[in-house]
Amino acid sequence: MLASAHPWLKRDWPLLVCLSIPAILAVGLLLYMAGWVLVMSFTDLSLFGRKATEWSFIGLENYERLFTRRGFLESLWVTVIFTFFSSIIGQNILGFVLAGTLRNQPGLLRSSIESAVILGWVLPDVVAAFLWSATFTPNGLVDLAILQPLSIETRNLINDHPLLIVILANIWKGTAWSYILYSAALDSVPREVSEAAKVDGATPMQRMFFITLPMIKSHIATNCLFITIGSFVYFPLIFALTGGGPGTKTQVLSIFVYNESFSVGKLGYGSAISVAMLIIVAIMSIFYVRLLREPK
Amino acid sequence: MQDTQKSYTTAIILALIALIWVSPFSWLAVNAVNPEADGSLSWPNSVGFQNFAEAMSGQAGGQFMNSLFLSILTSTLTVIIAVFAAYPLSRLKIPGRNAFLWALVLLRMLPATGVIVPIFFTAKSTGMLNLVGVAIAITMLNLPFTLLLLKNFFDTVPVELEEAAYSEGASFFQIMRNVMLPMSRAGIAVVWFFSFTTAWNEFLLPLIFVRKTADFPMSVGLFASFGEHSSVNYGFLASYSILYAVPAVAVYFLLRRNLNTGFAGVGVKG
Amino acid sequence: MKINNVILASTLSALVGTTAFADISIMYRGQFGSLIDPGIDAFEAATGETVERIALPVDGYDDRIALDIASGTAPDVLHIDTGFVQRLSANGNLHALNGMADKWDQWQYYPEATLNATSVGGQVYALSTDTDARMLWYSKKAFEAAGIETPWMPKTWDDVFAAAEAIKEATGTQNALVIPAGTKQEEATTMQGFYMVLLGADTPEGDMNRLRNRETGQWIGKSPALKRALEFYHKAYIEDGLAEPGDQYSNDVGAFMRQGLIEGDVGIWASGSWENNCIWDCGGTNLPPQAERDEVVHWAPFPGSGVEGAPEFSNISAGWTIAVNEASENKELAEQLLMAIFDRENFEPWVLENGRMAVRSDIAATDAYKSDAFFAAVTPLNEKTTKRDAVPGYYYVSSQVQKMTADILDGVSVDDALEEYYEALVDEFGEEAVAVYE
Repeated sequence: MLASAHPWLKRDWPLLVCLSIPAILAVGLLLYMAGWVLVMSFTDLSLFGRKATEWSFIGLENYERLFTRRGFLESLWVTVIFTFFSSIIGQNILGFVLAGTLRNQPGLLRSSIESAVILGWVLPDVVAAFLWSATFTPNGLVDLAILQPLSIETRNLINDHPLLIVILANIWKGTAWSYILYSAALDSVPREVSEAAKVDGATPMQRMFFITLPMIKSHIATNCLFITIGSFVYFPLIFALTGGGPGTKTQVLSIFVYNESFSVGKLGYGSAISVAMLIIVAIMSIFYVRLLREPK
Repeated sequence: MQDTQKSYTTAIILALIALIWVSPFSWLAVNAVNPEADGSLSWPNSVGFQNFAEAMSGQAGGQFMNSLFLSILTSTLTVIIAVFAAYPLSRLKIPGRNAFLWALVLLRMLPATGVIVPIFFTAKSTGMLNLVGVAIAITMLNLPFTLLLLKNFFDTVPVELEEAAYSEGASFFQIMRNVMLPMSRAGIAVVWFFSFTTAWNEFLLPLIFVRKTADFPMSVGLFASFGEHSSVNYGFLASYSILYAVPAVAVYFLLRRNLNTGFAGVGVKG
Repeated sequence: MKINNVILASTLSALVGTTAFADISIMYRGQFGSLIDPGIDAFEAATGETVERIALPVDGYDDRIALDIASGTAPDVLHIDTGFVQRLSANGNLHALNGMADKWDQWQYYPEATLNATSVGGQVYALSTDTDARMLWYSKKAFEAAGIETPWMPKTWDDVFAAAEAIKEATGTQNALVIPAGTKQEEATTMQGFYMVLLGADTPEGDMNRLRNRETGQWIGKSPALKRALEFYHKAYIEDGLAEPGDQYSNDVGAFMRQGLIEGDVGIWASGSWENNCIWDCGGTNLPPQAERDEVVHWAPFPGSGVEGAPEFSNISAGWTIAVNEASENKELAEQLLMAIFDRENFEPWVLENGRMAVRSDIAATDAYKSDAFFAAVTPLNEKTTKRDAVPGYYYVSSQVQKMTADILDGVSVDDALEEYYEALVDEFGEEAVAVYE
């Protein structure tokens, strides 16, 4: 490893090691905490009461519960739908398209869109929930601006299409991240490469698919992984907007965890659900890792 | 001719997207300027800035400074630690480094309520139950992701540039300062902004860590709008959220020029 | 990089310099500042000690208490929900206050019933700041439209349903009779909703109308009362369509219902005594005079089902308390701080201004309190009230209750929902700890 390294790396390796110490310590601490969560998932530890101090190991019982209790598999399905449409399709593609088109747009238009997108990103979730509920309830924005002028009967759109609305809300809330990352990624594509292809007569589409996308594929993979994780554990906005309901129509796994464990302080069971979620996303992310493979 | 028409269409579509994107903010706007805000989406009877006055009185000023302190400390700490660790990760062919980094990133999925127990006890035993402790905790939780991100950006910097600098006798720090950092400015800006907003929005860690009321950041202060029996002070909530969100947007615009440098523009000649 | 290091170093040193320790600390919900802050001021003025005040929001409050208690970083004085008194004292985390009886001449004004609510095994672990009552609130506009006479005095569940049907008929509202349900509203579903129905569903004898048999210490997994209560929900939400299930998950259920009552879009809503303020303004600053409020909304006791032995009306109370941490090294000072907060000079104005139900006999006996029409009418309810079963395990049972009502809203049958509830209790507590009554 070191033998094949560049000469300046060989020269400075003690320095490199020293400067990496904080990161190594932080990662070590993180692994230690992850270990703690893993251990908790085999116990009946709870946040309150007797089981907070006199907990014991209960083997795989928490994991068995996942499959014996109604709800986990249904919630998993809702989460997959939610994540796929709001992140992979919504945030990811919209973020990329915005990053690509806004690069060449005049200052004012670009700044206004950026302000709106970033404001959505930094607005606290609890507040965003009020905005979204005011948009879709009777006498809300859509009702006042579209339905009533067209004399369409007012309905509570959040009750009628809850999953669609939380997906839209998550796209609105999270696209900023993909936009920023793709803006920076596109910046690292040398213009000369693209210009050269243009001279060779490549259409914009060809340039996009054969030049730009392959050059930023590691960023695409990282972004997909990150927004998948983000949507998988996304909680406050969905909880405030629909509380997982009506019924269990928007009960994503994070709300399931909350209802099943943390609202009643069952740390052991909650940890087990989280570990299971982690494994599921790990399996899903193998798909993204393939993107990263170096061409042979 | 066709090109101008096309760019007009693009501009109109973009303007439409912008309009749709900002429309939900109407609720925030009408409730912030309505002294009798009741949380509904209606034209205020009177317009005034009493809500902003209320939001800014009390502890908002101190909370703003605390948020700023926490966020700048977190983002700066994150960038420093991540830059020095991501560089060897990018340049040394350590076997399995990608898989390892990805596995670490997945740890972000562990539930806040679960992770917070060990974090809290660690912070307590090291005397870090304060904002610095919160900054370190967020830095640690974000580190795998920021490492992966920065490594990706470092990977796109051509190794020839470092070779050239090395052959001219540059030290490690000179290589970093004159080659790696300028060439991955966009990536560093992204990581910095990402850490900044994470810290800016973090609620649970400061709530649990901070021992003195005067040390709470704005993310905690916002929740003063929520009372017992699901009562909400809408005027305060709306105006306070504007005061809370706008600085973070301003920070984005300060950083933006780094996202649009144009690769060729920065010191390739070195 | 250099500049960053300088910032880091200077901020670090700035922070280290500001750590100072107060003599005694108190943690409380920010909304109670109007009671607690002046109490602290008085305490500081009288003793010369300094108090570290940690005022916190609603969110995360429970997590913070749990972690602080577990790690020994909790403050000396804690402001907690009545439900938490049992939760914490079960682990020996609270200091028994019985000794205050001799040191403080105002202790005598706490009636036996008030102290019982915060006692475990004869030890008083906290003093109540307030209490409440639960009832049915109704919209006079909706009642007028349906031609129902007010004041409305339903005697049985049938009366309630009859009124709701008439309102639905007359106004076409989707929410003629709203009993809180579902997981979103958490304890409000259990307390304002299910437990109120349950208490009226059967005779109180042998705790047949409760979630737990207090004699045997068993949770009740199946009983005629549980079944009747679920049937009530099923009738209201599914069979008769008197309430819209989706609205139980909306972003701000409270605001939705309150506005609805005023405008006549909501007929009847099960809630608590605080609504006398909250329908208008929870903060209590923009309240119309009582007479004007009574013109628009009014309340009636939640009647019993009408089956034999069922009580005339049901009521359950909660409230907030202040307690002393057992790990405190300044229990003497902590008790003094309690005395300062609960000193009549400080306590009485807060009770009146906030529209709280008095917990102390001396404040309840003042002219100002007695002459208040709302308090006068609602106080008799609390002669027959009860508390939730705040023993360890309660919050699990409560969350299962919420899930059970959510199932009903989803169209699950009463028998299936009840069976699942029973199984969840057995799974958690073991078969011998779960009672079944036929």
